[in-house]
Amino acid sequence: MSSKIKIYLQPTPVRIWHWLNALGIITLCVTAVQIRFPEHVHLFANYKAAILLHNAAGLVVTFSFTLWFIYYALVRRNMVDVYIPSVDDIQNGLLRQAKFYMLTYFLGWANPHHPTPDNKFNPMQKSAYLAIMFLLVPLVSLTGLLLTNLSPMRDLVLLVGGLKILIAIHFLLACSLCAFLFTHVYLATLGKTPMAYIKPMWTGWEEEDEDHHPHSAS
Amino acid sequence: MITQVFRKTMQIGVLLSLLTLVPTMALAMESSDCKSCHDDTDMVGEELMIEALTFDQTAHAEVGCPACHSSVTEDHPDDGLAPSKASCAECHDGVSEEYVNSIHAENASCNDCHNPHRALGPTAVSGQDMNLQCSTCHENVEMQAKHAEWLPQADLHISTLPCITCHSASDEYVISLYIIKRQSGTPFGGFELASYEELNELSGGKPVQELVDINADGYISLAELRMFNRDSQNKQLRLQGMMTPENVSHDFRTRNDRWDCSFCHASGPEAMQVSYLSLAESDGSFHRVSVEKGAVFDALYGTPDFYMVGASRSSALNYVGMAILAGGMVMPLGHGTLRFLTRKNRKDEEE
Ligand code: HEC
Ligand code: HEC
Ligand code: HEC
Ligand code: HEC
Ligand code: HEC
Ligand code: HEC
Ligand code: HEM
Repeated sequence: MSSKIKIYLQPTPVRIWHWLNALGIITLCVTAVQIRFPEHVHLFANYKAAILLHNAAGLVVTFSFTLWFIYYALVRRNMVDVYIPSVDDIQNGLLRQAKFYMLTYFLGWANPHHPTPDNKFNPMQKSAYLAIMFLLVPLVSLTGLLLTNLSPMRDLVLLVGGLKILIAIHFLLACSLCAFLFTHVYLATLGKTPMAYIKPMWTGWEEEDEDHHPHSAS
Repeated sequence: MITQVFRKTMQIGVLLSLLTLVPTMALAMESSDCKSCHDDTDMVGEELMIEALTFDQTAHAEVGCPACHSSVTEDHPDDGLAPSKASCAECHDGVSEEYVNSIHAENASCNDCHNPHRALGPTAVSGQDMNLQCSTCHENVEMQAKHAEWLPQADLHISTLPCITCHSASDEYVISLYIIKRQSGTPFGGFELASYEELNELSGGKPVQELVDINADGYISLAELRMFNRDSQNKQLRLQGMMTPENVSHDFRTRNDRWDCSFCHASGPEAMQVSYLSLAESDGSFHRVSVEKGAVFDALYGTPDFYMVGASRSSALNYVGMAILAGGMVMPLGHGTLRFLTRKNRKDEEE
C-alpha cells in the first residue's frame, strides 16, 4: 500500500459557507415549489409558512455568499487563482477534463487533476463555479431581494422592465441553480469512493496517495 | 346575477309604488328643483353643495332627492324646518341587517363610509377610492405597521388591495387594472391614479378609453394591452393591478384564508381569468372595459408590472424551467448509468 498524505484543502470559513449555502439553497428550492404551485404542493403548513421560510433561506444564502466573497477576496486573496480559469485551463484543461469525465473515467483511469489549496478545482469545476458564484447566486439573490422589497424599490423593478420580467429572471436562474445542484451533487460522488470528495468538504482534509504528489496544473 | 337583478327591480318597484301610494308634500318639488339650488355653491354654500354630475351617475338618482328627504316642503328652505334624512335601512334592509350584526357595527355608521349622494357600487369605485372610505378612521401608515406584524410586504398589500378584499366577502373577485401616472417633478416621484383630466389630455381629444382600446371596439385584446405597455413608459404611465370584489358583504369578519394568504395566492389560475381596465370618468365614477381573458398570465408584456405569486404564473415559463431542470438531470442519469455499467473497470482502485 502506498502511504497517504493529507492536505488541508478546505479552510473552515469555506466549509461553513458551503454547508450554510447548501442548506439554504435546498430550502429555497423546496419552498419555491410550493410558492409557485400552491394548489398542488402542500409541503409546509400553509402558504405563508413557505414564503417566510423562503425569504429567510434567501437571506441565509445572501449572507453566506458575502462570507464567501470576503474570505476569498479579502482574507485569503486567492480568488483569481482558485476561480478564474487560466489560459491553459481553457486551451487544454477543459478538453482533458471532459475527456476524463466522458471516457477515461469509465475505463478506470485516474482523475488528471490533483487539487492543491491554491488550485483546488479542475478546469471544468472552475468554469462551472465561476458561472455559479459570479453570475447565478448573485443574480438570484439580488432579484430575490428586490422581490421581497417591491414597494420601496419599485423604480429599480421598472428599470428591469417590470415585475413580470424580474420574476422571469429570478425563476429561470433559480431553475438553473437547481439544475446545477443535481449535477454538482452527482459529481461530488465521483471520487474513489462516493464520499471521497464530500468528506474533505466537511473535515477540510483531503487524502491523496503519495505517488500522486500534488502538482500545480498551471 | 339573476337574483340580483330581480332584487334590484323589486326594490325599485317597491320604491316607486311607495312613492305613488304615499303622496307627500315633497311631490311638489322634484330632484331637478332641488338641484337648481343645491348644485350651486352661490345658492347654498360649500357645506350643502350636492354635485349633480356625480349624483346623477349613482343608483340613488333613480330614487330621487325627495325619496330620502321626504319632509322637504314647497316652502323649503324658508320654512325653517330641518329636512328629514332617510335611514339606509329603509331600503337596504339586507345589507343593514348584516352590518348591524357585524363586529364593526359599533365603530361606524353607513354614512361614515358612504356618502348617499355619491354612493356607487363596487364596480364603479376604484380600489384606491374604496380605501379612502376606511382611511378616514384607519390611518394608512398605522395600518401598514399593524399588518406588517404578520403580513409580508404589508406596504405593497395595503397599497394594491382594497381593505374590503380581505375584510369582507364577495361572490367573485376580478383583476382591475388602473392607469397610474408618475407625479411630475422628480424623475423618481411616486405614481398616483391618473385623473380624468390627465387621461383626457393624453388621449388628445379622443375618448380616454382609446389610450388602450386602440381600435375602439370596447374590448381590450392582449395585443392592444401589450402595445400600451410597451410605449406607456415614455408617457410615465403604468398599469396597476388590484384584486377587487364584484359585490361586497358587510359582515367585516376577518377570514382565515386571508390571514394565511391562501385565498389569493393558492386559489389556482381559474381565479385570475377575468380582468378589466378601469378608467376615471369626468363624474368621479369609474368605467370598466373588458380585457381579454387570462391577460395576467401573459409572460412579459400583458401586465408587465402585475404579478401575484402563486396565482398568475406563466405556463410558458414553467416549460422552460422544466427543460432547464431536465438538463441538470442529464449528467446524473446518463453518466450514472454508464458508471454503473463500467463499475468493474474501477474495481481495483476502489479497494
Ligand atoms: C331655493 C333653493 C333651494 C331648493 C329648491 C332646495 N333647497 Fe334645500 N336648502 C336650501 C338652503 C338655502 C338650505 C339651508 C337652510 C338653512 O340652513 O336653514 C337648504 C337645506 C337643505 C337641507 C338640510 C341640510 C342640513 O343642514 O342638514 C336638506 C336635506 C335639503 N336642503 C334638501 C333639499 C331637497 C331634497 C330639495 C328638493 C326637494 C331642496 N333641498 C330644495 C336651498 C334650497
Ligand atoms: C339615498 C338617500 C338620499 C338621496 C337620494 C339624497 N339624499 Fe341628501 N342626504 C341623505 C342623507 C342620509 C343625508 C345625511 C348625511 C349625513 O348625515 O352624513 C343627506 C344629507 C343631505 C344634505 C346635507 C348636506 C350633506 O351633504 O350632508 C343635503 C343638502 C342634501 N342631502 C341634499 C340632497 C339633494 C339635493 C338630493 C338630490 C340631488 C339628495 N340629497 C338626495 C340621503 C339622501
Ligand atoms: C329610498 C330608498 C333608498 C335609501 C333610503 C337608500 N338607498 Fe341606497 N340604493 C337604493 C336603490 C334603489 C339602489 C339601487 C339598487 C341596489 O343596488 O340595491 C341603491 C344603491 C345603493 C348603492 C350602490 C349599489 C350599486 O350597486 O350601485 C349604495 C353604495 C347605496 N345604495 C348606499 C346607500 C346608503 C349608504 C344609504 C343610506 C345613507 C342608502 N343607500 C339609502 C335605494 C335607497
Ligand atoms: C368611522 C370610523 C371608521 C371607518 C370609516 C372604518 N372603521 Fe374600521 N374600525 C373603526 C373603529 C373605531 C374600530 C375599533 C378599533 C380598532 O380596532 O381600531 C374599527 C375596527 C376595524 C377592524 C377590526 C375589527 C375587529 O375587532 O376585529 C377592521 C377589520 C376594520 N375596522 C376594517 C375597516 C374597513 C375595511 C374599513 C373601510 C371599508 C373601515 N374599517 C372603516 C372605525 C372605522
Ligand atoms: C391581505 C389582506 C388584508 C388587507 C389588504 C387588509 N387587511 Fe386588515 N387584517 C387582515 C387580517 C388577516 C387581519 C387579522 C390579523 C390578526 O388577527 O393578527 C387584519 C386586521 C386588521 C385590523 C385589526 C388590527 C388589530 O390588530 O387591531 C384592522 C383595524 C384592519 N385589519 C384594517 C384594515 C384596513 C383599514 C385595511 C386597508 C387599508 C386593511 N385592513 C387591509 C387582512 C388584511
Ligand atoms: C366600514 C365602512 C362601511 C360601512 C360602515 C358600510 N359600508 Fe357599504 N360598502 C363599503 C365599501 C368599501 C363598499 C364597496 C365600495 C362601494 O361600493 O362604495 C360598500 C358597498 C356597499 C353597497 C354596494 C354593495 C354591492 O355589492 O353592490 C351597498 C348597497 C352598501 N355598501 C350599503 C351600505 C349600508 C346600507 C350600510 C349601513 C348599514 C353600509 N353600506 C355600511 C363600506 C362600508
Ligand atoms: C447537498 C448538497 C451539496 C453537496 C453534497 C456538495 C458537495 C460539494 C463538494 C464535495 C465540494 C468540494 C469541491 C468539489 O469537489 O467540487 C463542493 C464545492 C463547492 N460547492 Fe457544493 N455541494 C452541495 C451543494 C452546493 C450548492 C447548493 C452550491 C451552490 C449553489 C454549491 C457550490 C459549491 C462551490 C462553489 C464549491 C467550491 C467551493 C470552494 O470554494 O472550495 N454546492 N461541494
